[in-house]
Amino acid sequence: MHKALPVPDYCMKIILPDKSCRDAGPGPVTVETLVRDLGFDPVGVIVARNGTLVTEDAVVENTDEVRIIRIAHGG
Amino acid sequence: MRSGSSGSPTGDEAVACDDVPVKTPRCDRCSGPAVFHDKKTGRHLCREHFIADIEKRVADTIRSKNLIIPGDHVVIALSGGKDSTALLMILARLLPSWDSVRLSAVTIDEGIAGYREDTIRSADRLVMQYGLDHASISFTELFGGTLDAFLKGREPEACSVCGILRRKALNVAADRAGATKLATGHNLDDEAQSVFMNVLRGDLPRLVRDSGSDSKGRFIPRIKPLMFISEKEIAVYLMLHGAWADLPECPYAVHALRGEVRGMLASLESKYPGTMLHLMESKTRIEAQCAGRLEEEPVRHCRECGDSCSGEICQLCTLKKTLSQ
Ligand SMILES: [Zn+2]
Ligand SMILES: [Zn+2]
Repeated sequence: MHKALPVPDYCMKIILPDKSCRDAGPGPVTVETLVRDLGFDPVGVIVARNGTLVTEDAVVENTDEVRIIRIAHGG
Repeated sequence: MRSGSSGSPTGDEAVACDDVPVKTPRCDRCSGPAVFHDKKTGRHLCREHFIADIEKRVADTIRSKNLIIPGDHVVIALSGGKDSTALLMILARLLPSWDSVRLSAVTIDEGIAGYREDTIRSADRLVMQYGLDHASISFTELFGGTLDAFLKGREPEACSVCGILRRKALNVAADRAGATKLATGHNLDDEAQSVFMNVLRGDLPRLVRDSGSDSKGRFIPRIKPLMFISEKEIAVYLMLHGAWADLPECPYAVHALRGEVRGMLASLESKYPGTMLHLMESKTRIEAQCAGRLEEEPVRHCRECGDSCSGEICQLCTLKKTLSQ
Protein backbone atom coordinates (compact mmCIF):
# COMPACT_ATOMS: atom_id res chain seq x y z
CA MET A 1 0.00 0.00 0.00
CA HIS A 2 1.17 3.46 -0.78
CA LYS A 3 0.90 5.63 2.29
CA ALA A 4 0.98 9.39 2.66
CA LEU A 5 4.25 10.59 4.04
CA PRO A 6 4.04 10.53 7.83
CA VAL A 7 4.15 13.89 9.57
CA PRO A 8 7.24 13.82 11.77
CA ASP A 9 6.41 13.92 15.47
CA TYR A 10 8.78 16.74 16.21
CA CYS A 11 7.11 19.21 13.89
CA MET A 12 4.41 21.73 14.67
CA LYS A 13 2.52 22.98 11.66
CA ILE A 14 2.08 26.74 11.66
CA ILE A 15 -0.26 28.64 9.37
CA LEU A 16 0.73 32.29 9.19
CA PRO A 17 -1.63 35.23 8.54
CA ASP A 18 -0.61 35.33 4.87
CA LYS A 19 -1.78 31.67 4.62
CA SER A 20 1.75 30.40 4.15
CA CYS A 21 2.72 27.34 6.16
CA ARG A 22 5.84 26.48 8.01
CA ASP A 23 7.03 23.97 10.55
CA ALA A 24 8.26 25.14 13.91
CA GLY A 25 10.82 23.67 16.23
CA PRO A 26 10.26 21.48 19.22
CA GLY A 27 7.39 22.15 21.60
CA PRO A 28 5.73 22.20 23.99
CA VAL A 29 5.73 25.96 24.22
CA THR A 30 3.20 28.60 25.23
CA VAL A 31 1.23 30.35 22.52
CA GLU A 32 2.69 33.68 23.62
CA THR A 33 6.28 32.47 23.25
CA LEU A 34 5.57 30.93 19.87
CA VAL A 35 3.86 34.09 18.62
CA ARG A 36 6.73 36.29 19.80
CA ASP A 37 9.32 33.94 18.30
CA LEU A 38 7.52 34.27 14.98
CA GLY A 39 7.82 38.05 15.26
CA PHE A 40 4.22 38.98 16.12
CA ASP A 41 2.89 41.06 18.98
CA PRO A 42 0.39 38.94 20.95
CA VAL A 43 -2.01 41.92 21.19
CA GLY A 44 -2.28 42.00 17.41
CA VAL A 45 -3.08 38.36 16.73
CA ILE A 46 -5.39 35.58 17.81
CA VAL A 47 -4.42 31.94 17.68
CA ALA A 48 -6.34 28.76 16.86
CA ARG A 49 -4.96 25.39 17.85
CA ASN A 50 -6.37 22.54 15.79
CA GLY A 51 -9.29 24.74 14.80
CA THR A 52 -10.15 26.02 18.27
CA LEU A 53 -9.30 29.46 19.70
CA VAL A 54 -6.81 29.32 22.56
CA THR A 55 -5.38 31.84 25.01
CA GLU A 56 -1.79 33.16 25.06
CA ASP A 57 -0.97 31.04 28.07
CA ALA A 58 -2.18 27.81 26.46
CA VAL A 59 0.45 25.32 25.37
CA VAL A 60 1.03 24.07 21.84
CA GLU A 61 2.77 20.80 21.12
CA ASN A 62 4.55 19.20 18.25
CA THR A 63 1.51 17.41 16.91
CA ASP A 64 -0.62 20.58 16.82
CA GLU A 65 -1.67 22.65 13.89
CA VAL A 66 -1.44 26.30 14.92
CA ARG A 67 -3.08 29.08 12.96
CA ILE A 68 -2.07 32.69 13.56
CA ILE A 69 -4.70 35.24 12.63
CA ARG A 70 -3.79 38.89 12.41
CA ILE A 71 -6.34 41.38 13.71
CA ALA A 72 -6.33 43.94 10.94
CA HIS A 73 -8.37 47.09 11.17
CA GLY A 74 -11.34 47.18 8.87
CA GLY A 75 -12.96 50.63 9.36
CA MET B 1 -11.40 5.63 13.99
CA ARG B 2 -8.55 8.01 13.79
CA SER B 3 -5.15 6.49 13.77
CA GLY B 4 -2.08 8.32 12.61
CA SER B 5 -2.55 11.50 10.67
CA SER B 6 -6.10 12.29 9.64
CA GLY B 7 -6.30 12.63 5.92
CA SER B 8 -7.87 16.08 5.98
CA PRO B 9 -6.13 18.18 3.37
CA THR B 10 -7.43 21.52 4.63
CA GLY B 11 -7.25 21.13 8.38
CA ASP B 12 -9.93 23.80 8.39
CA GLU B 13 -12.86 22.11 10.05
CA ALA B 14 -13.41 22.86 13.71
CA VAL B 15 -12.50 20.05 16.07
CA ALA B 16 -15.76 18.88 17.54
CA CYS B 17 -14.58 17.45 20.81
CA ASP B 18 -11.70 19.56 21.98
CA ASP B 19 -9.02 17.72 23.88
CA VAL B 20 -8.72 19.60 27.15
CA PRO B 21 -5.78 18.32 29.13
CA VAL B 22 -3.55 20.60 31.18
CA LYS B 23 -2.39 22.42 28.14
CA THR B 24 -5.65 24.36 27.97
CA PRO B 25 -6.32 26.99 30.68
CA ARG B 26 -9.81 26.79 32.20
CA CYS B 27 -12.64 29.31 32.42
CA ASP B 28 -12.78 31.07 35.79
CA ARG B 29 -16.55 30.68 35.91
CA CYS B 30 -17.26 27.17 34.67
CA SER B 31 -13.87 25.48 34.12
CA GLY B 32 -14.60 24.90 30.43
CA PRO B 33 -11.73 25.45 27.96
CA ALA B 34 -10.73 29.14 27.93
CA VAL B 35 -10.78 31.06 24.65
CA PHE B 36 -9.84 34.45 26.07
CA HIS B 37 -7.36 35.63 28.67
CA ASP B 38 -7.65 39.17 29.98
CA LYS B 39 -4.08 40.07 30.85
CA LYS B 40 -5.06 43.02 32.99
CA THR B 41 -7.30 41.09 35.35
CA GLY B 42 -5.81 37.65 34.75
CA ARG B 43 -9.28 36.33 34.01
CA HIS B 44 -9.89 33.34 31.71
CA LEU B 45 -13.23 32.86 29.96
CA CYS B 46 -14.73 30.06 27.88
CA ARG B 47 -16.72 30.66 24.71
CA GLU B 48 -20.12 31.06 26.40
CA HIS B 49 -18.87 33.21 29.26
CA PHE B 50 -16.76 35.37 26.96
CA ILE B 51 -19.75 36.11 24.71
CA ALA B 52 -21.99 36.80 27.71
CA ASP B 53 -19.34 39.10 29.20
CA ILE B 54 -18.96 41.17 26.01
CA GLU B 55 -22.72 41.56 25.62
CA LYS B 56 -23.15 42.50 29.25
CA ARG B 57 -20.40 45.12 29.08
CA VAL B 58 -21.96 46.69 25.98
CA ALA B 59 -25.35 46.71 27.72
CA ASP B 60 -23.71 48.32 30.78
CA THR B 61 -22.09 51.03 28.64
CA ILE B 62 -25.42 51.76 26.98
CA ARG B 63 -27.25 51.89 30.30
CA SER B 64 -24.69 53.86 32.31
CA LYS B 65 -24.20 56.46 29.59
CA ASN B 66 -27.87 56.51 28.64
CA LEU B 67 -26.95 55.92 25.00
CA ILE B 68 -30.28 54.44 23.98
CA ILE B 69 -33.71 55.29 25.39
CA PRO B 70 -37.16 53.82 24.77
CA GLY B 71 -38.58 54.89 21.43
CA ASP B 72 -35.17 55.41 19.82
CA HIS B 73 -34.53 54.49 16.22
CA VAL B 74 -30.89 53.43 16.31
CA VAL B 75 -29.20 53.48 12.93
CA ILE B 76 -25.94 51.56 12.71
CA ALA B 77 -23.19 52.98 10.51
CA LEU B 78 -22.43 49.64 8.92
CA SER B 79 -19.27 49.54 6.84
CA GLY B 80 -19.27 45.75 6.73
CA GLY B 81 -15.89 45.75 8.47
CA LYS B 82 -15.22 43.96 11.73
CA ASP B 83 -16.24 46.60 14.23
CA SER B 84 -19.58 47.55 12.74
CA THR B 85 -20.38 43.88 12.06
CA ALA B 86 -19.84 43.05 15.72
CA LEU B 87 -21.82 46.14 16.75
CA LEU B 88 -24.80 45.03 14.68
CA MET B 89 -24.67 41.46 16.01
CA ILE B 90 -24.49 42.64 19.63
CA LEU B 91 -27.19 45.31 19.35
CA ALA B 92 -29.48 42.84 17.58
CA ARG B 93 -28.94 40.41 20.47
CA LEU B 94 -29.65 43.06 23.11
CA LEU B 95 -32.57 44.65 21.30
CA PRO B 96 -35.38 42.40 22.60
CA SER B 97 -34.60 43.52 26.14
CA TRP B 98 -35.25 47.17 25.32
CA ASP B 99 -38.57 48.95 25.09
CA SER B 100 -39.73 49.93 21.63
CA VAL B 101 -36.29 50.49 20.16
CA ARG B 102 -35.89 50.13 16.42
CA LEU B 103 -32.69 49.06 14.71
CA SER B 104 -31.59 49.59 11.11
CA ALA B 105 -28.38 50.19 9.19
CA VAL B 106 -26.83 52.58 6.69
CA THR B 107 -23.76 51.99 4.55
CA ILE B 108 -21.57 54.62 2.93
CA ASP B 109 -19.84 53.77 -0.34
CA GLU B 110 -16.85 56.11 -0.43
CA GLY B 111 -15.64 54.70 -3.72
CA ILE B 112 -12.39 52.98 -2.70
CA ALA B 113 -11.53 50.46 -5.41
CA GLY B 114 -10.39 47.02 -4.31
CA TYR B 115 -11.54 47.59 -0.74
CA ARG B 116 -15.12 48.70 -0.39
CA GLU B 117 -16.69 46.14 -2.75
CA ASP B 118 -16.01 43.25 -0.36
CA THR B 119 -17.14 45.04 2.78
CA ILE B 120 -20.35 46.26 1.12
CA ARG B 121 -21.18 42.70 0.06
CA SER B 122 -20.54 41.59 3.59
CA ALA B 123 -22.82 44.37 4.95
CA ASP B 124 -25.60 43.31 2.57
CA ARG B 125 -25.39 39.69 3.73
CA LEU B 126 -25.49 40.67 7.37
CA VAL B 127 -28.58 42.90 7.23
CA MET B 128 -30.35 40.23 5.22
CA GLN B 129 -29.49 37.63 7.84
CA TYR B 130 -30.86 39.83 10.64
CA GLY B 131 -33.80 41.17 8.64
CA LEU B 132 -32.95 44.83 9.18
CA ASP B 133 -33.78 47.79 6.97
CA HIS B 134 -30.67 48.94 5.15
CA ALA B 135 -30.00 52.15 3.22
CA SER B 136 -26.91 52.97 1.19
CA ILE B 137 -25.49 56.26 0.01
CA SER B 138 -22.42 56.92 -2.12
CA PHE B 139 -19.91 59.76 -2.33
CA THR B 140 -20.67 59.89 -6.04
CA GLU B 141 -24.35 60.51 -5.35
CA LEU B 142 -23.66 63.12 -2.65
CA PHE B 143 -20.47 64.82 -3.79
CA GLY B 144 -20.22 63.96 -7.48
CA GLY B 145 -17.20 61.67 -7.38
CA THR B 146 -15.45 58.78 -5.67
CA LEU B 147 -12.93 59.17 -2.84
CA ASP B 148 -10.31 57.62 -5.14
CA ALA B 149 -10.90 60.42 -7.67
CA PHE B 150 -10.86 63.17 -5.02
CA LEU B 151 -7.61 61.91 -3.54
CA LYS B 152 -5.52 61.76 -6.71
CA GLY B 153 -2.24 63.40 -5.78
CA ARG B 154 -3.23 64.13 -2.19
CA GLU B 155 -3.18 60.63 -0.68
CA PRO B 156 -1.48 61.73 2.55
CA GLU B 157 -4.62 63.74 3.41
CA ALA B 158 -6.83 60.70 2.83
CA CYS B 159 -8.16 60.21 6.35
CA SER B 160 -9.01 63.85 7.00
CA VAL B 161 -10.67 64.29 3.59
CA CYS B 162 -12.57 61.03 3.96
CA GLY B 163 -13.50 61.90 7.55
CA ILE B 164 -15.12 65.19 6.57
CA LEU B 165 -17.03 63.63 3.66
CA ARG B 166 -18.08 60.56 5.67
CA ARG B 167 -19.40 62.68 8.52
CA LYS B 168 -21.66 64.54 6.13
CA ALA B 169 -22.69 61.36 4.32
CA LEU B 170 -23.58 59.63 7.57
CA ASN B 171 -25.62 62.61 8.73
CA VAL B 172 -27.56 62.69 5.48
CA ALA B 173 -28.10 58.91 5.50
CA ALA B 174 -29.15 58.81 9.16
CA ASP B 175 -31.47 61.75 8.62
CA ARG B 176 -33.11 60.10 5.62
CA ALA B 177 -33.56 56.90 7.61
CA GLY B 178 -35.29 58.81 10.39
CA ALA B 179 -32.65 58.00 13.01
CA THR B 180 -32.72 59.35 16.54
CA LYS B 181 -29.26 57.86 17.29
CA LEU B 182 -26.38 57.03 14.97
CA ALA B 183 -24.30 54.12 16.31
CA THR B 184 -20.70 53.64 15.16
CA GLY B 185 -18.37 50.69 15.75
CA HIS B 186 -15.53 52.64 17.42
CA ASN B 187 -13.76 50.34 19.87
CA LEU B 188 -11.47 50.83 22.85
CA ASP B 189 -8.36 50.88 20.66
CA ASP B 190 -9.86 53.59 18.43
CA GLU B 191 -10.91 55.68 21.40
CA ALA B 192 -7.57 55.33 23.19
CA GLN B 193 -5.78 56.27 19.95
CA SER B 194 -7.95 59.38 19.65
CA VAL B 195 -7.19 60.43 23.22
CA PHE B 196 -3.47 59.98 22.61
CA MET B 197 -3.56 61.80 19.27
CA ASN B 198 -5.39 64.76 20.75
CA VAL B 199 -2.78 64.93 23.50
CA LEU B 200 0.02 64.75 20.91
CA ARG B 201 -1.63 67.59 18.99
CA GLY B 202 -2.23 69.62 22.12
CA ASP B 203 -5.90 69.74 21.28
CA LEU B 204 -7.55 69.98 24.69
CA PRO B 205 -10.98 71.12 23.47
CA ARG B 206 -11.15 68.13 21.16
CA LEU B 207 -9.93 65.82 23.90
CA VAL B 208 -12.78 66.68 26.24
CA ARG B 209 -15.42 67.22 23.62
CA ASP B 210 -17.56 64.17 23.36
CA SER B 211 -18.57 63.44 19.80
CA GLY B 212 -22.05 62.74 21.09
CA SER B 213 -22.48 66.09 22.77
CA ASP B 214 -20.69 68.45 20.41
CA SER B 215 -23.58 68.28 18.05
CA LYS B 216 -26.32 68.42 20.62
CA GLY B 217 -29.60 69.20 19.04
CA ARG B 218 -28.03 70.06 15.73
CA PHE B 219 -27.09 66.69 14.34
CA ILE B 220 -28.29 63.22 15.17
CA PRO B 221 -26.41 62.18 18.33
CA ARG B 222 -23.67 59.62 17.77
CA ILE B 223 -23.18 56.72 20.13
CA LYS B 224 -20.26 54.29 20.47
CA PRO B 225 -21.52 51.22 22.36
CA LEU B 226 -18.22 49.33 21.80
CA MET B 227 -16.01 52.05 23.28
CA PHE B 228 -14.83 49.78 26.12
CA ILE B 229 -14.41 46.62 24.03
CA SER B 230 -10.92 46.09 22.61
CA GLU B 231 -10.17 45.32 19.00
CA LYS B 232 -8.91 41.92 20.04
CA GLU B 233 -12.10 41.13 21.96
CA ILE B 234 -14.13 42.09 18.89
CA ALA B 235 -12.00 39.78 16.75
CA VAL B 236 -12.52 36.91 19.20
CA TYR B 237 -16.27 37.61 19.39
CA LEU B 238 -16.58 37.44 15.60
CA MET B 239 -14.39 34.37 15.36
CA LEU B 240 -16.50 32.53 17.95
CA HIS B 241 -19.62 33.29 15.90
CA GLY B 242 -18.05 32.16 12.65
CA ALA B 243 -18.46 35.74 11.45
CA TRP B 244 -14.78 36.43 10.95
CA ALA B 245 -13.88 37.38 7.41
CA ASP B 246 -10.43 38.24 6.21
CA LEU B 247 -11.30 41.64 4.82
CA PRO B 248 -8.75 43.86 3.15
CA GLU B 249 -7.27 46.83 4.97
CA CYS B 250 -8.18 50.32 3.76
CA PRO B 251 -5.46 51.18 1.21
CA TYR B 252 -5.18 54.74 2.55
CA ALA B 253 -4.56 53.71 6.18
CA VAL B 254 -0.78 53.66 5.72
CA HIS B 255 -0.70 57.44 5.35
CA ALA B 256 -2.21 58.27 8.70
CA LEU B 257 -0.68 59.41 11.99
CA ARG B 258 -3.22 57.08 13.52
CA GLY B 259 -1.35 54.13 12.05
CA GLU B 260 1.79 55.06 13.97
CA VAL B 261 -0.10 55.76 17.18
CA ARG B 262 -1.89 52.45 16.77
CA GLY B 263 1.34 50.48 16.56
CA MET B 264 2.82 52.33 19.50
CA LEU B 265 -0.22 51.82 21.73
CA ALA B 266 -0.48 48.15 20.77
CA SER B 267 3.07 47.47 21.89
CA LEU B 268 2.54 49.47 25.10
CA GLU B 269 -0.66 47.54 25.80
CA SER B 270 1.22 44.31 25.32
CA LYS B 271 3.95 45.31 27.79
CA TYR B 272 1.67 47.12 30.22
CA PRO B 273 -1.81 45.58 30.06
CA GLY B 274 -4.50 48.17 30.76
CA THR B 275 -2.72 51.07 29.03
CA MET B 276 -5.65 51.79 26.71
CA LEU B 277 -8.18 51.74 29.53
CA HIS B 278 -5.92 54.04 31.54
CA LEU B 279 -5.92 56.53 28.67
CA MET B 280 -9.71 56.48 28.69
CA GLU B 281 -9.71 57.05 32.45
CA SER B 282 -7.38 60.03 31.99
CA LYS B 283 -9.78 61.48 29.50
CA THR B 284 -12.72 61.00 31.87
CA ARG B 285 -10.83 62.74 34.70
CA ILE B 286 -9.76 65.67 32.52
CA GLU B 287 -13.34 65.97 31.31
CA ALA B 288 -14.61 66.11 34.88
CA GLN B 289 -12.04 68.79 35.77
CA CYS B 290 -12.89 70.84 32.70
CA ALA B 291 -16.65 70.62 33.03
CA GLY B 292 -18.09 74.03 32.38
CA ARG B 293 -14.68 75.70 32.34
CA LEU B 294 -13.81 75.53 28.68
CA GLU B 295 -15.15 78.36 26.61
CA GLU B 296 -18.09 77.25 24.59
CA GLU B 297 -17.52 77.80 20.93
CA PRO B 298 -20.32 79.98 19.60
CA VAL B 299 -22.59 78.14 17.21
CA ARG B 300 -22.46 79.68 13.78
CA HIS B 301 -23.81 78.66 10.46
CA CYS B 302 -21.85 78.07 7.29
CA ARG B 303 -22.23 80.93 4.85
CA GLU B 304 -22.46 78.52 1.95
CA CYS B 305 -24.49 75.53 3.10
CA GLY B 306 -26.09 76.57 6.38
CA ASP B 307 -24.72 73.64 8.39
CA SER B 308 -23.59 74.59 11.87
CA CYS B 309 -19.85 75.17 12.16
CA SER B 310 -17.28 77.09 14.17
CA GLY B 311 -16.08 79.51 11.48
CA GLU B 312 -17.47 81.38 8.52
CA ILE B 313 -17.42 78.41 6.18
CA CYS B 314 -17.71 74.78 7.27
CA GLN B 315 -14.97 72.19 6.77
CA LEU B 316 -16.98 70.46 4.08
CA CYS B 317 -17.50 73.57 1.96
CA THR B 318 -13.82 74.50 2.41
CA LEU B 319 -12.83 71.02 1.29
CA LYS B 320 -15.22 70.97 -1.66
CA LYS B 321 -13.49 73.99 -3.18
CA THR B 322 -10.21 72.06 -3.31
CA LEU B 323 -11.51 68.76 -4.66
CA SER B 324 -10.49 67.94 -8.20
CA GLN B 325 -13.51 68.17 -10.41
ZN1 LIG C 1 -17.17 29.38 31.30
ZN1 LIG D 1 -20.83 74.54 4.50
